[in-house]
Amino acid sequence: MLSRLRKSAGELGWPVGISLVLLGLWEAAVRGLGIRSIILPPPSEIIEAVIARRELLLAHLWPSLYLTVLGFALSVIGGILVAVVITYSSILRRTFYPIIVVSQVVPKISIAPLFIVWFGTGTMSSLLLAFLIAFFPMTINSALGFQSIDEDIHRMARTFMGSRWQIFWKIRMPNALPYIFSGMKISITLAIIGVIVSEFVASQEGIGYLIKLAGGLLDTPLMMAAITVLSISGLVLYGLIALAEQHSVYWQSSSDIGGIAGG
Amino acid sequence: MRAATLSSVPMSAGPDQSTTAPVLRVSGVRKSFRELEAIRNVSLDVSANEFVSVLGPSGCGKSTLLMMVAGLIAPSDGTISINGSPVTGPRPEIGVVFQQPVLLPWRTVLDNVLFPIELLKLPRAQYEHRAMALLAMAKIDDFANHLPRQLSGGMRQRASICRALIHDPSILLMDEPFSALDAITRDEMGVELLRIWQANRKTVIFVTHSIREAAFLSDRVLVMGRRPAMIIEDLKIDLPRPREIAMMESEPFNQHVRHLRKSIEASHAQ
Repeated sequence: MLSRLRKSAGELGWPVGISLVLLGLWEAAVRGLGIRSIILPPPSEIIEAVIARRELLLAHLWPSLYLTVLGFALSVIGGILVAVVITYSSILRRTFYPIIVVSQVVPKISIAPLFIVWFGTGTMSSLLLAFLIAFFPMTINSALGFQSIDEDIHRMARTFMGSRWQIFWKIRMPNALPYIFSGMKISITLAIIGVIVSEFVASQEGIGYLIKLAGGLLDTPLMMAAITVLSISGLVLYGLIALAEQHSVYWQSSSDIGGIAGG
Repeated sequence: MRAATLSSVPMSAGPDQSTTAPVLRVSGVRKSFRELEAIRNVSLDVSANEFVSVLGPSGCGKSTLLMMVAGLIAPSDGTISINGSPVTGPRPEIGVVFQQPVLLPWRTVLDNVLFPIELLKLPRAQYEHRAMALLAMAKIDDFANHLPRQLSGGMRQRASICRALIHDPSILLMDEPFSALDAITRDEMGVELLRIWQANRKTVIFVTHSIREAAFLSDRVLVMGRRPAMIIEDLKIDLPRPREIAMMESEPFNQHVRHLRKSIEASHAQ
């Protein structure tokens, strides 16, 4: 356990080190070249802005996070349900699977203004956009997980008289878990994008709105502070999912957890 | 722990096998997949506690025959009956060991062994003791709480044999169970299997493409010819039990092996 911790700390050493060096270079370049902070504030000023404007940032962060998590949760539930349906019904699979895949050609962000027309500038548009964007990888990954069970395992369960219901809960579900978590890791990032874009387009609150507002006021430090806070939040949400994955998918080592690309 | 014996474990009451009627009867079975005839007119009887091998080249349809006995696929013609009642689907008096161990990777060895108990909705608590006794018999009880990936290939296959025996089936079907193992492990597993079988008598149908394995393990060897498969030889192996690896050097053993090889060659010459 200790050696594993030390190993992961050692693996983090390089990227963290490089990041610190780059931040240092950024700081030195801005100061040395006398770049105005309206163009590019140095990291120290961004950190100052995060601390000084924390109440404003938090007030706008919460609604965005709330909608992100809600939209993400809906996409997880919806994606898994649709995946179950297309796993068990070959007619529905042959009907809807191609439609779902082809519909991915439409860049969903381009629908944001349409949602504003339909659902107004409130939270509903943001929630729906987050859901819509996050839904696809959830569905595809879960469906892949449910369908990728080994033919031998299926046969084994049938010789011991396993029912469809038992085979679903005792075999397909645990078998799909690694795929579901891969989908979740993609979906949470996409849900954030959905909410922020929707807030860009039309909203009176949220971190996306704050970024746009700060841009309009040429308050670049505030803008960078908002982006920083948003990135940290995204990292935390992703980390929570990765943690839950490590706990739930205990039988795989992290190196052989594959998503849509493998596994 | 290792001293645990299966006789001390309560088991579900098996069918009365005092009669001489065959436990398994396959009569006039034919199986074709579309135009391809895989099995042509196979009939055989297996009596209680008999160890019968079905020997044939790869892809000759012997696994298909086994899957029909397991009730997973229906024959195109003919009937299969177990203890006098026709096979229409999977049934609880059968345990199956596959070529691969097919253990569930998220379950410990013990939970894998108890998996059929869960599927059959039998009380788990009553079978935990039996599971441990089986694992002890297979000499892997120390690994009861390990995950399958922590075990070697041979140990995984032992666990899958325990799983096939957990609900005390009267018939054990084995579909080339040792063919994925290396040669040394394979010989050891044969001896282990006989030891387990000796202590826990079952009717065994063992499918293999190894002549020596079939001769070493069985009371009777049925030789199947190439597609469409038929039984071309029914040889009784009257070697004494318990059998040890050293027996494979003996002249009577090699006579049987030569005999089996000749009948396989004769079927190829046709």
